Amino acid sequence: MKRFLVFLVLLTILLNTVILASEAGKLLIWTDEQRKPILENLGKQFTKIYGVPVVVQELPFGDIRDKLGVAGPAGEGPDIIIGAHDWLGQLVVNGLIEPLNFMEEIKGKFVKTAIDAFTYGNKIYGLPYATEAVGLIYNKDLVPTLPKTFAELIAIAKKLTHPEKKEYGFITQASQPDPYHSFPFFTAYGGYIFGKNPDGTLNPCDIGLASKGAIKGAYLLLSLIKKGLVPEGIDYQTMTSLFNAGKIGMILTGPWAIAGAKKSGINVGVAKIPTVEGNVPKPFVGVQGFMVSKFSKNKALAAFFLRDYVATKETRLALYKADPRVPAFKPALEVVAKDPIVKGFAENIAVGIPMPAIPEMSAVWTAWANAITLFCTQKETPEKALSDAVASIKKTLKCH
Amino acid sequence: MKVITLGISNAMGLWAAMGLLQAKGWGVLAVLIAGLIGLNVALLSKKAYPLRYLLPGLIFFGLMVVYPIIYNINISFMNYGTGNILSKAQVISQFTNEYYQPEKSERFSYQIFRNKEGDLRVLLISKTSKKAYLSVGKHLEPIDLHAPSLVYEGGKLVRIGDYERMSMIQIIQNLAKIQDLTFKYNDGLVKFSSVTEFQVYKPLYHYDEKRDVLIDLKTKKVYRPIDGTFTSSDGEKLSPGFRAYVGFRNFVDILKNPQISGPFMRVFSWTFIWALLSVLATFALGLSLAILLNDNTLRFRFLYRTLLIIPYVIPGFISILIWRGLLNTNFGVINDVLQKFFSMKIPWFQDPFWAKVALLFVNLWLGFPYMMLVSLGALQSIPPELYEAARIDGAGSWQRFYSITFPLLMISLAPLLIGSFAFNFNNFTVIYLLTGGNPPIPGSQTPAGATDILISYTYKLAFGGAGAQYGYAAAISIIIFFIIGTISAINFRFTRRLEEMSENL
Amino acid sequence: MHNKVRILKRIIQYAVIFTAIAFAFFPVIWIVSASINPGGTLYGQKLIPEKSTLEHYKMLFTDKRYPFMLWLWNSLKVSVIASSITVFLCALASYAFSRFHFRGRRAGLLTLLLIQMFPVMLAFVALYLLLLWIGKYFPFMGLNTHPGLILVYLGGALGFNTWLMKGYFDTIPHDLEEAALIDGATRFQAFVRIILPLARPILTVIFILTFIGDYSEYLLASIILTGSKKYTLAVGLNLFITSDYARHWGTFAAASIVGSLPVLIIFFSLQKQIISGLTGGGVKG
Repeated sequence: MKRFLVFLVLLTILLNTVILASEAGKLLIWTDEQRKPILENLGKQFTKIYGVPVVVQELPFGDIRDKLGVAGPAGEGPDIIIGAHDWLGQLVVNGLIEPLNFMEEIKGKFVKTAIDAFTYGNKIYGLPYATEAVGLIYNKDLVPTLPKTFAELIAIAKKLTHPEKKEYGFITQASQPDPYHSFPFFTAYGGYIFGKNPDGTLNPCDIGLASKGAIKGAYLLLSLIKKGLVPEGIDYQTMTSLFNAGKIGMILTGPWAIAGAKKSGINVGVAKIPTVEGNVPKPFVGVQGFMVSKFSKNKALAAFFLRDYVATKETRLALYKADPRVPAFKPALEVVAKDPIVKGFAENIAVGIPMPAIPEMSAVWTAWANAITLFCTQKETPEKALSDAVASIKKTLKCH
Repeated sequence: MKVITLGISNAMGLWAAMGLLQAKGWGVLAVLIAGLIGLNVALLSKKAYPLRYLLPGLIFFGLMVVYPIIYNINISFMNYGTGNILSKAQVISQFTNEYYQPEKSERFSYQIFRNKEGDLRVLLISKTSKKAYLSVGKHLEPIDLHAPSLVYEGGKLVRIGDYERMSMIQIIQNLAKIQDLTFKYNDGLVKFSSVTEFQVYKPLYHYDEKRDVLIDLKTKKVYRPIDGTFTSSDGEKLSPGFRAYVGFRNFVDILKNPQISGPFMRVFSWTFIWALLSVLATFALGLSLAILLNDNTLRFRFLYRTLLIIPYVIPGFISILIWRGLLNTNFGVINDVLQKFFSMKIPWFQDPFWAKVALLFVNLWLGFPYMMLVSLGALQSIPPELYEAARIDGAGSWQRFYSITFPLLMISLAPLLIGSFAFNFNNFTVIYLLTGGNPPIPGSQTPAGATDILISYTYKLAFGGAGAQYGYAAAISIIIFFIIGTISAINFRFTRRLEEMSENL
Repeated sequence: MHNKVRILKRIIQYAVIFTAIAFAFFPVIWIVSASINPGGTLYGQKLIPEKSTLEHYKMLFTDKRYPFMLWLWNSLKVSVIASSITVFLCALASYAFSRFHFRGRRAGLLTLLLIQMFPVMLAFVALYLLLLWIGKYFPFMGLNTHPGLILVYLGGALGFNTWLMKGYFDTIPHDLEEAALIDGATRFQAFVRIILPLARPILTVIFILTFIGDYSEYLLASIILTGSKKYTLAVGLNLFITSDYARHWGTFAAASIVGSLPVLIIFFSLQKQIISGLTGGGVKG
């Protein structure tokens, strides 16, 4: 027994290392698993030129935001994080990230939507890396001619839909509520989430989910279900597995579905979401970018790294090569827009609206999803469901 | 042995204490001293003899279980949450480190020089006036670029006295130090701005320690700390705020919130039923299997047991999502089968009743192996002599189970069942992954869904408002602890009676 | 007659066992199916995909970005050490609760159980700060270290397991230790030499329970371990499904299956220890 304990103690002592934290003269970057190898490469080259070590640490994407709030103030955080623009609200009001003053000078090189997305108050907090939005993803073998209007889309969908064979023409995640994917329907007739204050910032108490346009859009979504085109309870996993099996003509989703479809041998294409009675449905745009921690000991170095090294055409093309997302950097976008898939998504991004970044957005998601479920399962009318949702959000945000 | 242990640990403790005294780690010191006293008492006092057996476990218990609870309680009296996560000192230092550029801020090109000790001097040349300055400590002094101390090589300035000029690469390597250099200049400061230049800045805020106020130096506005936010007299708030004690406000907010009190009874009763049925179902299945597999005459029983713990070993994250797919109304295998044989199509996740059934079913799958294992363990503690005696008395196997096995098992298992009840009472993961609390309830103006349990619903409120409200969530967890604690305490009374009864056995 | 009843009983016994096994395995088959599905979606359209592949398994053992084998080893190391110490700490405490009559004995044990029911919402912040703080003085036990994680797991040593073990100790006759004490052994020696060997079944059960618990624990490990070389399996696996849509379900499924094998093997091989020591004939009180 005693020998065993001694053994345990020895073993325990053997298993140790150093903690990683922002250290003067060394850049620590937090990113997710997908981008780690790219950034490590980038870091190695930077180290070669400037002799400054760059350490890349990988965390699950969502953890980056949450852990920054704990590790940063405790002095254990990174210098740079790669995150999503809709984290901005939380990160800024928590005092966790630093405005990037140099971005004012070079913002012309970036897609405007991406810069807007990373602007909070009147400051720019991130260097945009890639943009994404949902688009009409279609199977070229099933849909040889693209629909230009929603009416055409419905006509094509009707022809392809055979529920008994589990074949469908057009699928969107409707009743497995996904407000993110349903947003284009809400914007088609002018619905919105938050209205704007006179100074251009979002007003969390002006909620447009039960506005006339939003309700009209909700009816459009509902009509797809009533016509039997979109089945009840279809979620992302089911949708992609059917699409990858060649059983769906068109789906409304984002670039993340492309790789799987290609791997399954689908002849896949991306197009703009068709117009609805002449109106353009606007998808949400998500932007990923580099942000600098307020608790970094290397703010100047981080700014130099981002401005003079990351924001260059060569680096951005290398980034694209390793991880083909639609670049937010114009010189790089011009080069890669030859790729039809990139081009398709870029067109959707161009008409899209950045996801609201204010912290109040977290009150919207649940209530909104509930409303979509309720009217899609036809337990309530869209009017009732959406106005209840708005009332609930206003209550939660103490708006009256 | 005792003396040696005590001697070594006291010596080590004192040594660590000296270090802590120097490092001013008062908190750790207090814990250390308390621990040392506890150890001495435990090892020296006869009365505290049992403590010697308990202390090792209790130390870890205190550190890793009790400390987080205390932390949690502390936070429940604070406004900790989105907008207020930093300490006051951190927030003040953020504000006092903010600078602004005065109109037509003067720009300077710069060169940096370094001596062997690593001290830095900065040579600045104004881009507007073309005047040159050299840093002396925190000040700038005009300098003649042709002064004899300046050494040029090939037309390039390479040295000032014994200060060597740093290359661009050296500058970049030392940016962490350079970024913090500030020099007084007229009524402002000259600071590093980017690798190409220095600029004139002015501090934006001044913190007056005596009055505990923050003053905007540009507008002369005064901001006072109110509830964790620096607020001006006209109500303007400075972001970020900091964490501050707000008394019982979180608790009052919870108790007064109509979004909680409205659906409370409905949510609470489902939570109770959910926890109760989960425990009963998993225990019934787990115990039956344990008894069936505790049969020494059964061949391959080790294999069967191993196969049966599989649900416990597969990560819940994937198995719950797989279940969700299998139960999908239109595409799931389960409905496919039901349709084929009974022409039934069950709206698993659309109907509140079936959603609850689905949850209980999946939780049975997740939970029975644990119950099987603990039952197997508890079965071993039943002395076989008791069975022998019963057999001689002519008791049948049912009777034996009823009069011997079950009561004896309950003594060791009842608290575990209560624990399992408490666990399921707060079993956020299954609810979140399988139904997310859905389906929603028509006509309700709260985000509570039909399968939301107390903890999943209240967390929806804590994290689904304007960001995350940790203080509020902490207060919720205390209230829930009181509820579950009360239920458990009542249950423990029952087990006590059980024990008393069994003493006659 | 008697024989017929016995056969009938056997049949029922087997029927129940095999139904339960089928129940346990039902979703697992789909996990296996997902692990050989090249498309990388979680729900294949068919149980046996038209094009099946072993690439997800191959990736586990070859992809340098995901040191899967290292994670597996980390998990085994952490959970074996943590659960061994847990069993020992738990046995010590259970012994005290079973044998010594001190004031507040029952109340103390119940309080331990009650405290464990606290739904500590902010444990992640508290434990992060705690380990940060410990790490400042003892770097080998701080954040991103396995000893640190083990330390955290040991917090759960006292609790429901203690009750279970105490119940077992209660059934071991006192006379055995008393005989040893008369022979000149100390209390502690009697505990180690007589009680522990007799309590082997329950020690094994507690070991297995704790081992499985620590092996699959995700939340605490993800707070404490910040470098991918230190990850345990549960934390590492999460990287495969880190973002909402770009999830490597195939790899995750394959990893879940490979990751569960060591536990099943350990469980299978330890089972012989669960046979009651009390029936072994060693104790004829």
